[in-house]
Amino acid sequence: MLNAQEKSTLIIGTTAHIGNGEVIRDAAIGFRNGKIDLVTAIDYRLDTTKYEVIIRLNGQHSYPGFISPNNVLGLVEIDAVRATRDANEVGNITPQVRSLVAYNTDSKIIPTVRSNGVLIVQSTPQGGRISGTSSIFNLDGWNWEDAVLKMDDAIHINWPSVYNRKWENGTITYKENKEFENQVNELVTFFKNAEAYTKSDFILETNLRFEAMRPVFTGDKKVFIHANNAKELSSAIYFIREQKVKSPVLVGAYDALLVADLLVDYKIPVVLRRVHELPLREDDAVDLPYQLPALLAEKGVKFCLQNDGSMQAMGTRNLPFYAGTAAAHGLDREEALKSISLHAAQILGIDQQVGSLEPGKRATLFVSEGDALDMRTNQLSAAFVSGKMIDLGSHQRDLYERYMKKYGLEPN
Amino acid sequence: MRFISLFILLLVAEVFQAQGTFPVNGNRNPNNNSIVFKNATITKSPDEVINNGTLIIKNGRVESVGVNIPIPLSSVVYDLNGAYIYHSFIDPFSSYGMPEVPKSPWSSNPQIASKKEGAYNWNEAVKAELNAAELFSRNQKVAETFLKNGFGLGIVHQKDGIFRGTAALVSFDGGSDNEALKQREVYTAYSFDKGSSRQDYPSSLMGIIALMRQTHYDAEWYKTANRNKEVNLTLERVNQTSALPKLIDVGDYLSIYRADKIAREFGFQFIMKGNGDEYLRAADFAKKEIQMVIPLNFPNAYDVTDPYDAINVSLSEMKHWEMAPFNAAILDQNGISFTFTADGLEKPDQFLPNWRKAIEAGLPKEKALAALTTNVAKLFLLNDIDGTIQKGKPANFFISSAPIYDKEAVIYEQWVNGNQRVFKNRSIIDVRGEYNLNVNGNQQFELSVKGAVDKLEASVKGGDSTTKATLELKGNQITLSFKSKSSKDILRLSGHISEAKSRIWTGNAQLSNGEWVKWGAIKKADFVDKKKKDSTQALPLTKGSIWFPNMAFGDTAIPQQRSMIIRNATVWTNEDKGILKETDVLVVDGKIVHVGPKLDLSIIYPRRMPEIIEVEAKGMHLTPGIIDEHSHIAISRGVNESGQANSAEVSIGNVVNSNDINIYRQLSGGVTTSQLLHGSANPIGGQSALIKLKWGTTPDEMNIDSAKGHIKFALGENVKQSNWGDSKTERFPQTRMGVEQKFYDDFFRAKEYGDNWKLYNSKNSRDKKLATAPRRDLELDALVEILNEERFITCHSYVQSEINMLMHVADSMGFKINTFTHILEGYKVADKMKEHGAYGSTFSDWWAYKFEVNDAIPYNGAIMHKVGVTTGFNSDDAEMGRRLNQEAAKAVKYGGVSEIEALKFVTLNPAKMLQLDHRIGSIKEGKDADLVLWTAHPLSIYARVNKTIIEGTVYYDVERDALLRKQVGEERERLVQKMLAAKKGGAKTKRPEKREKELYECDTTEDEGYENN
Repeated sequence: MLNAQEKSTLIIGTTAHIGNGEVIRDAAIGFRNGKIDLVTAIDYRLDTTKYEVIIRLNGQHSYPGFISPNNVLGLVEIDAVRATRDANEVGNITPQVRSLVAYNTDSKIIPTVRSNGVLIVQSTPQGGRISGTSSIFNLDGWNWEDAVLKMDDAIHINWPSVYNRKWENGTITYKENKEFENQVNELVTFFKNAEAYTKSDFILETNLRFEAMRPVFTGDKKVFIHANNAKELSSAIYFIREQKVKSPVLVGAYDALLVADLLVDYKIPVVLRRVHELPLREDDAVDLPYQLPALLAEKGVKFCLQNDGSMQAMGTRNLPFYAGTAAAHGLDREEALKSISLHAAQILGIDQQVGSLEPGKRATLFVSEGDALDMRTNQLSAAFVSGKMIDLGSHQRDLYERYMKKYGLEPN
Repeated sequence: MRFISLFILLLVAEVFQAQGTFPVNGNRNPNNNSIVFKNATITKSPDEVINNGTLIIKNGRVESVGVNIPIPLSSVVYDLNGAYIYHSFIDPFSSYGMPEVPKSPWSSNPQIASKKEGAYNWNEAVKAELNAAELFSRNQKVAETFLKNGFGLGIVHQKDGIFRGTAALVSFDGGSDNEALKQREVYTAYSFDKGSSRQDYPSSLMGIIALMRQTHYDAEWYKTANRNKEVNLTLERVNQTSALPKLIDVGDYLSIYRADKIAREFGFQFIMKGNGDEYLRAADFAKKEIQMVIPLNFPNAYDVTDPYDAINVSLSEMKHWEMAPFNAAILDQNGISFTFTADGLEKPDQFLPNWRKAIEAGLPKEKALAALTTNVAKLFLLNDIDGTIQKGKPANFFISSAPIYDKEAVIYEQWVNGNQRVFKNRSIIDVRGEYNLNVNGNQQFELSVKGAVDKLEASVKGGDSTTKATLELKGNQITLSFKSKSSKDILRLSGHISEAKSRIWTGNAQLSNGEWVKWGAIKKADFVDKKKKDSTQALPLTKGSIWFPNMAFGDTAIPQQRSMIIRNATVWTNEDKGILKETDVLVVDGKIVHVGPKLDLSIIYPRRMPEIIEVEAKGMHLTPGIIDEHSHIAISRGVNESGQANSAEVSIGNVVNSNDINIYRQLSGGVTTSQLLHGSANPIGGQSALIKLKWGTTPDEMNIDSAKGHIKFALGENVKQSNWGDSKTERFPQTRMGVEQKFYDDFFRAKEYGDNWKLYNSKNSRDKKLATAPRRDLELDALVEILNEERFITCHSYVQSEINMLMHVADSMGFKINTFTHILEGYKVADKMKEHGAYGSTFSDWWAYKFEVNDAIPYNGAIMHKVGVTTGFNSDDAEMGRRLNQEAAKAVKYGGVSEIEALKFVTLNPAKMLQLDHRIGSIKEGKDADLVLWTAHPLSIYARVNKTIIEGTVYYDVERDALLRKQVGEERERLVQKMLAAKKGGAKTKRPEKREKELYECDTTEDEGYENN
């Protein structure tokens, strides 16, 4: 294995933020063969001789690698340059197109993202009614085969909008979308046909769209439904119930508070709209997006954070700070951490492998000099993907060092 | 003597009136009879009503009006039986009779020059040559809708373009175009809408304003200039019509301020045609003595039955819905003179109901009437018409069944220039009642006639059965048919009413066998109008409160400046003293007065202590207000004037929108000052607005008046239009090579222009008269200001080559680049920037959104700072603008800038860039008290704003914010209930819609709605 961890490693002296709410001060975290085999508070029983490499980072903080769902990272390099955009395929219903094969492990953006602690991404197609199928990647690897953590994990539906957008003289008016019911029906029809197809024991002609839906009906592929407005959410939830969607996830869900009871009752988790966004409505509390995580947690809705929005690929490196802002606005700090680690892993269906610092899981983790959720203190000293220490350098760091040298200055 | 001459004139007028140029086909039909209306309640003028009056007209003019006046022998006399006479309404803002404005299809291809053929203006949206009198042609169908609703006359013009030419007074009556045209030139019309023009310039409101100003300067210059170069029929027309009143269609109330400024610059006054929201700042407009034309197009209530729909309707729209009918009353209470227009109504039939609503809302009746008659005449200096019914004036009036203010009033007839147009027969006989009907002497029925006078419903009872009957009344002729009980055949009766009281009907009927028989009916009981409980009874109007601004998070009063002492805070001074722990800051009259530990007010004020509020800030951090060097919030209709490569003449200062919720949102993040920049669509952009975020005040109050001028320049992909689509390849420049030459050319031009003015201004007054003044050029004015160090450049820039280039251009042309903004490759040329003396205002960590930011690095700020460039972080983004403290923290994270210096990135350093560091940017005695109180270390993500203070006024307070949220919720719920009640009461409703202001970024180009990051 090209990515294999070569030497068993023990990190000692850090405050371990497990990702499940627990914090262990002065902890020891051991891992070998890519997997964590020890997470404990340091005491006399600790046998450091079992590990080939000992890393002492006293007073620093360890975290499970952060997870960024619903992201075009690896698919889009430069937003404005069409040649570098691979996220949006032609066609309205295209579950068969897969981010897997377009994911660029050598994106120059990736190193800038992992140096802030984000180590896993769900690389996700965009656009249309059913955008395509996402896959989940470690942010380290020689190629997509090598980097993929979970292949073809979910299809992504952009729920029909109850409003149509109209621009006029700088004012955007959202008028009733009179096609809403028809558009929902189109989805229902597609699901019904796909399901009928998959039940058939003799297939006359192969339909790639329907083929892509097979694992959806067996529950092996999740269904991410992107919607924000209360009416859209409630209509999407109805669809989930009616179509007996096995692994549904709502994405965006700005109005989730209004349907919180349904989300709890039907155990539908939410990939919440970007925290660092403006409120969707003029009348909303100015910090509503900051507060939503805390308010949803209070209602018992399971959620994780994401950075969908403008400049999302490059903005992935700010994901930790969304959790920080949530913590600043009423969410317990370790709960906030969950929203980019364990809860994200659970919602994406990768919690058996990653998402927390627990024995048996992959050693995808990092150490920061201070609180990683605060930009003031987020400063990585080491990061590991499946036990392998990764380079925290980047194209940006290189330029920094080169030009500091130009001016005769010492890089930090 | 005066009387006699007037008399002669009148005689002469009569002689002329009888003549005309048009040949008559057939025999002439002169009619010099008088027409007399007696027994009428005549409203001669809004202030004078005569009961039981008589009106005599002759040859289209009023002969006399009064009580008991003699009636000439040759008179046709109408007895109005107490009906009402009013002067015909005059609509001052109509496009009746104007040709349809041709719509050219939208195209993504640029249109740089005008497509109008002829020797007209360079810009197609300047249509001063339009002449409504020449364009006018009657349209009977449209005229009817006006006449029916009380209007006899209209001032009409072609509603197209920024300069719309002259408006003409026309009447809506029949006859010919020649007769209908009453006054050729009434006013010249303007608007803030470029209309059908597809020419690229202007693409924004600020461009429209600049073009309006420049055209006025051009017209002035054209008068004196040597015309060898060009004949410009448009400008000639501007000059020929300059004495006429000027009316401008402004759109929203903020544009009244904008138009007023233009008018003052050129020494005239605009009459403002508003959109119905002028009540929001009525007191201001009264002070400015603004006269208005206002519409009565009150918005319908939203159907808020479904709460999921209702959440999308903003409070501001709901509040406006409630207040719109009160607009006129509030303007009147403020002493503003206005007139009404039917313009903007979906249906003309809504006019009178809405006009009555305005009266119900408190507008005195006589004012309401004056706003359609005498005020119109006065405001627009009409020649022959003064809006009153009096001797010698044209006979323009209508007759209604009841006072026109009453809901029940029916307009019978409209008389315009003495020509009658009947809508309802005023002598209609009320036949309603119960009758005994006898057919052929042997068949007895009971006939019941109900319904409205002009829409009868009849039924016939014979024996036990009752059948519906068809009853028609024309004059006194009756047609009645029904099924008789005895046969299945239909009985058909025809006859007449024998007298006006409709006691007896008689006539002949034809039976089904063809036999003719006699019939008759005798009234046994009069109709009793059992007033049906009107289920659609409108609810009484009730007023809400006006908030400042009138939307969520506004309030009935804006916060007031207070003297205060902030105690025991950790104070980030941004001065040599650095961070002071447990320190007090005293603020008096908007200024910082003292900074120090444990300030003793009794020592500072040994004699009389002013009222000073104590603010306990133990455990909290106090910093200077955050300053955003690069913001695009609070801008109306366009951040880019992208129509030309140089738009130095436009100014964001003209289009500040004080109602943008993002002002309040920025306050919640500690921002106190923002530079509102023009976008980056062109190498030389527009002038900036420097504002303090005084939420609830007007754009003028937000404007920092002591600030020097600033202007936006731009380089790179946006000015090359690289990411605007493949059709955008025409406008120069399309390469970085062209950008350099554009700058050189424009600055050479500016130098020559400046020299010409200098030469002209150096002449003595006699020589000046002989010489022609150079043409005033607003674009070059701005560049000359740059050369004179009176205006400061903020240049949008990305890659090192172009940054270097511009500094060379500047050095060789003798000006300076004040600030490079974005400046993402500033780290590559920081040494050169330092040498040039430029500031660097960058993003903390943005990159990868376009090709030119490929080498953008988050360490940029740190490197520039360490090399010695005064460095700042800006937002360019309404969302990030409220987290600039966190962005500053990234200067610590990426590159290790010290925390004290990092905070300066968003406070003191941008203050320097705005040339305002003598007033803001640090906590120092004598500076403006623009302060932010934070709950934690201000660079930490856990810090939240407790208070944002601007000049001693707390514009954001976390506790007050909680109250405002509650207030927003309560006000919404109140209005939702009111809308539901309105719906239940039968009011029309519309489906909920959500509206929001477009968020601008550097390269949002307004005309095409492109959005590229």
